[in-house]
Amino acid sequence: MKARQRGSQKERKFPSMAIECLVLGAGQQVGKSCVVVSMNGKRIMFDCGMDMAYHDHRRHPDFSRISESGDFDKALTCIVITHFHLDHIGALPYFTEVCGYRGPIYMTYPTKALAPSMLEDYRKVMVERRGEEEQFTSEHIVECMKKVIAVDVKQTVQVDKDLMIRAYYAGHVLGAAMFYTKVGDSAIVYTGDYNMTPDRHLGAAQIDRLQLDLLITESTYATTIRDSKYSREAEFLKAVHKCVLGGGKVLIPTFALGRAQELCILLEDYWERMNLKIPIYFSSGLTMQANMYYKMLISWTSQKVKETYSTRNAFDFKHVLNFDRSMISAPGPCVLFATPGWISGGFSLEVFKQWAPSEMNLITLPGYCAAGTIGHKLMSGKRTKIDLDKDTQLDVRCQIHQLSFSPHTDAKGIMDLVKFLSPKHVILVHGEKPKMATLKGRIYSELGIRCDDPANNETVCIPSTHHVEVGASNTFIRSSLNPNFNFSKISSEDESDSRLKDGKFMPWLQVKDERAAEGILVEEKSKRAKIVHQDELLLMLGEKKHDIRFAYCFPINTDNLEDTKSTDVSSSSNALSMSGRCSWLPMLYIKLSDELSGGNIQYFGEQIQVESFSVSLCLKDRCPYRIVDSPPNKCEAVFFCCTWSIADEKLAWKIISILENLDYGTC
Amino acid sequence: MDRDLPSSCEQSIRSPSENPAEDSLSPETLASLRSLVITPSTPDTAISSIFQTLTRSLQLSRDPLVLHHTLKLFSDLASHRPSLSSSVSELVRSHALLSSDSTRLAAESLDVLASIAERGGTPVDLDDRSFVSLCFGPSVSVRSWLLRNAERFRIGPHVLLTMFLGFTRDPYPYVRKTALDGLVGLSKPGVVEDLDMIQGCYCRAVELLLDTEDYVRSAAVRAVSAWGLMLVAFNLETKLYWSDNLFVKLCSMGRDMSMEVRVEAFDALGKIEIVSADILLQTLSKRVSGTTKGMGSFGQCPAAEVESSASSVAGVLVHGLEDEFYEVRKSTCHSLRTLTIISAEFSEKALNLLMDVLNDDSMYVRLQALETMLHMATYGLLKVQGTHMHMFLGSLMDGNMSIRSATRKILKLVKLPNIETFKLSVDGIIDNLERHPQDEADIFSVLFHIGRNHGKFGMSIINEVFKEMELASEGKLGFDTARVAALLILAISALLSQGQHACNIPPIIFSYAVTLLGRISVALTDIMNQDALLAYLSQCSRSTRFSAMEFNLREDKPRLPAVTIASSSHSSNEINGTVGSPFQQGEDVAANLQYQAMREPMEVASSHVGYHLEVQDEVIRSMNLIFAKVKDIWPLIQSGFTNEVLRVLRSFKEELATFTSGSLRSVGAVAFALQYLRVVKQLAKVWEHFLPARKLCSGMGELDIALGKLETRLRELKSRFTGLSLEQELQILELLLLTCTLRLSKVESYCQVASLKKLSMTASHVESILKLGSIEPSNFMSEVGKLSYLTRTSSFGAPCDPFLFKELLKYFSLEQFVVFGRIDHIKAELVVPDNDSENHLPFVPRLPVGIPCEITLHNICSENKLWVRMTMDDESTQFVFLDLDLFGSSDEVRKFTYVVPFYRTPCAFSFTLRICIGMECSFEDVPPVKRYGGPDRELTFLCQEKEVHLSMTLGFNSSGRAVESDIRPKDLDQLCMIILNKCMLAKSWS
Repeated sequence: MKARQRGSQKERKFPSMAIECLVLGAGQQVGKSCVVVSMNGKRIMFDCGMDMAYHDHRRHPDFSRISESGDFDKALTCIVITHFHLDHIGALPYFTEVCGYRGPIYMTYPTKALAPSMLEDYRKVMVERRGEEEQFTSEHIVECMKKVIAVDVKQTVQVDKDLMIRAYYAGHVLGAAMFYTKVGDSAIVYTGDYNMTPDRHLGAAQIDRLQLDLLITESTYATTIRDSKYSREAEFLKAVHKCVLGGGKVLIPTFALGRAQELCILLEDYWERMNLKIPIYFSSGLTMQANMYYKMLISWTSQKVKETYSTRNAFDFKHVLNFDRSMISAPGPCVLFATPGWISGGFSLEVFKQWAPSEMNLITLPGYCAAGTIGHKLMSGKRTKIDLDKDTQLDVRCQIHQLSFSPHTDAKGIMDLVKFLSPKHVILVHGEKPKMATLKGRIYSELGIRCDDPANNETVCIPSTHHVEVGASNTFIRSSLNPNFNFSKISSEDESDSRLKDGKFMPWLQVKDERAAEGILVEEKSKRAKIVHQDELLLMLGEKKHDIRFAYCFPINTDNLEDTKSTDVSSSSNALSMSGRCSWLPMLYIKLSDELSGGNIQYFGEQIQVESFSVSLCLKDRCPYRIVDSPPNKCEAVFFCCTWSIADEKLAWKIISILENLDYGTC
Repeated sequence: MDRDLPSSCEQSIRSPSENPAEDSLSPETLASLRSLVITPSTPDTAISSIFQTLTRSLQLSRDPLVLHHTLKLFSDLASHRPSLSSSVSELVRSHALLSSDSTRLAAESLDVLASIAERGGTPVDLDDRSFVSLCFGPSVSVRSWLLRNAERFRIGPHVLLTMFLGFTRDPYPYVRKTALDGLVGLSKPGVVEDLDMIQGCYCRAVELLLDTEDYVRSAAVRAVSAWGLMLVAFNLETKLYWSDNLFVKLCSMGRDMSMEVRVEAFDALGKIEIVSADILLQTLSKRVSGTTKGMGSFGQCPAAEVESSASSVAGVLVHGLEDEFYEVRKSTCHSLRTLTIISAEFSEKALNLLMDVLNDDSMYVRLQALETMLHMATYGLLKVQGTHMHMFLGSLMDGNMSIRSATRKILKLVKLPNIETFKLSVDGIIDNLERHPQDEADIFSVLFHIGRNHGKFGMSIINEVFKEMELASEGKLGFDTARVAALLILAISALLSQGQHACNIPPIIFSYAVTLLGRISVALTDIMNQDALLAYLSQCSRSTRFSAMEFNLREDKPRLPAVTIASSSHSSNEINGTVGSPFQQGEDVAANLQYQAMREPMEVASSHVGYHLEVQDEVIRSMNLIFAKVKDIWPLIQSGFTNEVLRVLRSFKEELATFTSGSLRSVGAVAFALQYLRVVKQLAKVWEHFLPARKLCSGMGELDIALGKLETRLRELKSRFTGLSLEQELQILELLLLTCTLRLSKVESYCQVASLKKLSMTASHVESILKLGSIEPSNFMSEVGKLSYLTRTSSFGAPCDPFLFKELLKYFSLEQFVVFGRIDHIKAELVVPDNDSENHLPFVPRLPVGIPCEITLHNICSENKLWVRMTMDDESTQFVFLDLDLFGSSDEVRKFTYVVPFYRTPCAFSFTLRICIGMECSFEDVPPVKRYGGPDRELTFLCQEKEVHLSMTLGFNSSGRAVESDIRPKDLDQLCMIILNKCMLAKSWS
């Protein structure tokens, strides 16, 4: 038997049981992602990204905070990488090959497959364009990847005896995953980047309803709420269709992986349905190679792609042809995918120069373009002239369509995920500070979940779950095996306030099954704690059962009664005759029955009983339960004595207040 | 088959041991006893001694495993030997296993008793107390079994409700799910009338929406929906409050991570008929609306819940429509049908989304979106705007025919706001015509409707275009171009528009239209026939002004009688009753057409004149829509677009497949419709051979096979359904006639005589039905009748001219099937338990073997003659008659176990039998070749063929288990002899 215990008390007892979360990157910013989580003696690094905005040491997470001595193998249990984007994996070769971490690294199969080429591209750009000293070499990448252990979605991996990790599908890019991590009784989820709505080629994030102490989630779009993607798709298709119908050429600059495939599937589908014959071209070999990855990693794509896979691989683009440089100035409409996405150079720039001057043509721009690129210049307002370099100016007359497809979830998606998982605590990373603060407030106010948004190099400590083993008596075990449910009905007189208790609707009829709740935790001297059945407790302690009852004796003023009764009761001042007294209880009974509709009121001649509450005439001169002194005129008051048990306390006081405020004139 | 009585079991049966404590039967013995029990040929004496042995075991054994097997054997005994079932039932009952300490055994005994009761024994009277105490036992599997099977024991609904409600608290998720499912079953009006109880169930289910297990959550959604609807219906005053409450709860599940849960949630949303407008509108926006935030109110939600309710409702339908799984998207589209009726503002906004859904990658979702729009259009809620047109008209270009056709259905009803959208639509339709000429008939019909609905726009277009046409063609119009034809239709329809006073369409246009009479009249069959059309056109070509005025005069008193006579007289679509003469007064025609124009759009949509039956069941209605669509594809079949036709039929089939969970009444209808689709499919395949182009290119064999298949399908359609009306039967017979005609019209066709005979038989059958009712025969029927009469009167066997029959084919056209009454599907299920390619049934070569079959028969009455057909690998066949009187009396469902004897086992190690159940066709008047001991008539098979694997039993070891040894085939014969001898010995014992 296990009993759950959590919170502050435990923190005192087991200080190491708290989950410690050290944010090395992406704290209150969108940049290098790196979070080190310590739980139950294990230390896991989630993501090891690089910040492209910096060119000095700041581009890497501050690894010295993990270990002063630099012995990372001892300081870290493992590294988990969520996906192949450089802001999540960029610093990994540096960390393993230069800093010397040799422990295990986990990532999904597609990430492992795609990461080397991403890292290699980056290294080349770094060396060639900026002429910098390289942070790591090609050999480093190869060596680093050798340390990687690939995992599959929903595959449970036992890193060591205590540490277990499991990947869940995250959407976002091919192979992106969220990681569920469990050490002992503490469990957390680190989301990495994810997408809660599917697109044409990747599915939506998918995770089980888990018991979590902590959820570390990205918050790139902490305040944005996106409309339906349908309208965005429709606009895009409409623009492209209109352009090619008019004989124009469409240039779609994209990066090799992700958006290119999504848009291409979208176009293919549309071409197929509308029976269009206009050619679609892919410019570079890299994109074709990327398509090949997609074709192989089909199990990581969306439901639709997976379903149709047996008949046709969605990445076998029927209408797509290879583009040749000579075709740039060929006549007739066409659609061309070209890299890179921001028209910062390469083939897309070459084509752009040729096509931009014609009004018939169309250029689509991705949702985000880095500052300084042509894409960025085109985005920022209506420009007809673009300076390519010092001497060349380009007259842009073509139409421009801006795409707003994003692989990140929006604020609604984050809220949906947090609501679904209902963790005990949330930490926001990978977002902009003010927006994160807004989202943090929403999570607390709407879902009642504590939330933090630590800055870089800050540590957050949160309490974690810990189970304590205790013994259990046989009677208790037997009683917990058998169902033992009961129904309780909230009495209707409480209706008005109980129905909306704590702002939540409470039903009149409630079901409880108390088989486990009935146990009592006993901690005997020098023995292990043990749970016993409640019936056993008295036996164990050798005590008798005590029942506590409350009693109260109060007068009811009979002034009014005098008036109404005077006609038929003797007006003698010698109090009321016995017969008069006897008629009181029935009167009360009638009154109570009126007031407490639905309550179980019984009348036994001597007393009235409602649940455990009973009231009778008090004939004693000095009742120990009498609180009010006798009124000056004794004859005008009648005393009633009532008792009740603690369970019906509320009811008791309600009845007493009814009786005390009785207006007998209306009886 | 007592020859293989194993020695140990023999012993235990024959000589009860002196020491009862040692008498417990080993599992092996029990297993071999079972083989004796289920073998039909085991002599009764052996059975009765087995019965005694088992009785002893039941009384003496304390070993739960043995008791378990013993009970199982009793159950087998009762099912295989109906004569013993009452004593088994008594024994199990008297043995008071119900009160024994093992709840598992108690449940097993209950199962035995219940299954005996279901086969017609004394019903189990399990009192509520014992049921409850069994449920409260510690065994979880028993608990969930009892909850699932509660209905079999006739437990009072209040006890059940308490149990179900209580067990929603069970720690085992599967029990929780079962309990929730049980609660859904109880949510019928009349079972629970107490408001508190209903609320209790509802709230309990709501709590379980947060369960950790997917399947519990999805059961919880069903329960919340069922009990929430009960609450909504309970009291008019609180209706809106509870409806809002339910709606919010269901919406909160729209973002669940499990696809099943989401589908349930959206399905359930579609059942809600009333909800506050602000809540409904919030479902379309992911942002919580400002008024909700500002006012702090949200529908009827309590003030404290406003924020959380609003955020769980926010944008849920948008999420549903962009879900990853098409099932969810489709369900969301479907639920929009009911939701759009609630609020006009909502329907307008939802339409914007629906238009975007037309871009979905799944055909099912697109189709469902269009059907929802059609639904909206029939309720007058479809407010199309200019921004929608690109998406909407794009559907007319869709490669899928159903999508195009569904779009056109909407266009027939839609009200276009301005001339720009009207022009766009007309252009779109004309594009459709140019791209897909096979849609022509339907497109003309759409143009006619759209022109009539928007007379003013139509006329202005025509006048513009007419000038161009005249100029460009210098008086010579290219009528063959699709565009011109389409515009002409628009012109002639615009005149019929209501409220169109000044008509200035040049009369010459109507003369032009006359040249297209044939094509136009095909398209307008649901509105007028060719003669009426001609009359109308010729009238108008003389003077439109005159006729337009004439129409307006008549507008307020349409000539109803003319139409009613026409429509009530027969089921064909043509109006040719009293308006038959082409030279009748034009006004009659006009009145007739006006009447058509004024009919409810709904009726026009279903486009079936004379179809006045009230069809309430939604399933039946959609079925009829499908039938109407099937009728529409006949021209396609005729012109040989076979692949297209097959694809469309497949999509209908998929559509039908969505009606799986319906009422009893619709189950049969769905099966019928599926069968009908199969027939049409086969017909399309056959028709291919009769196209001019295909004359020589296909071998005769292929056609014969196709025709044979068509006949089988038709026979199944004819004989496997009961409850067909005379008209329906006639329609099937017409198809039969067609098949015969098709056969006869091919010169090369063999068995002319048989086909001829079949034709005349069917024709006389048709005649007899025609005499019964006042049904008018179709042209085809009467023509066939004439010809058949001719051949009958001429000397029998005289060669008949295939060309005569070929001529007949021209008269045939596929008519729409209409389903209204209940149709029952005659079918059978056959299961051979514990037999597959791994587990073989034992047999001894050349000796009969019994094959235990669990058979379920649906809707079979005792007049039907059923046969079990068993075919061996070498195609040798054996029939066994199923005497229905032996197996229960209920006509609707009979379930029993029957051991089918197979006599001619081959001398082989193992073999496979194909076994299936067939029914003699009562109507088939041509008796096939008589088989000895087999059925007299052609069989219609009621189930799929099942394979039964048998392998040889070679010997026994000391424990009585069969042993297989390596034996060469040539030794087989010898072995058979040995076994035979052994059997003789065994027989001589008993």
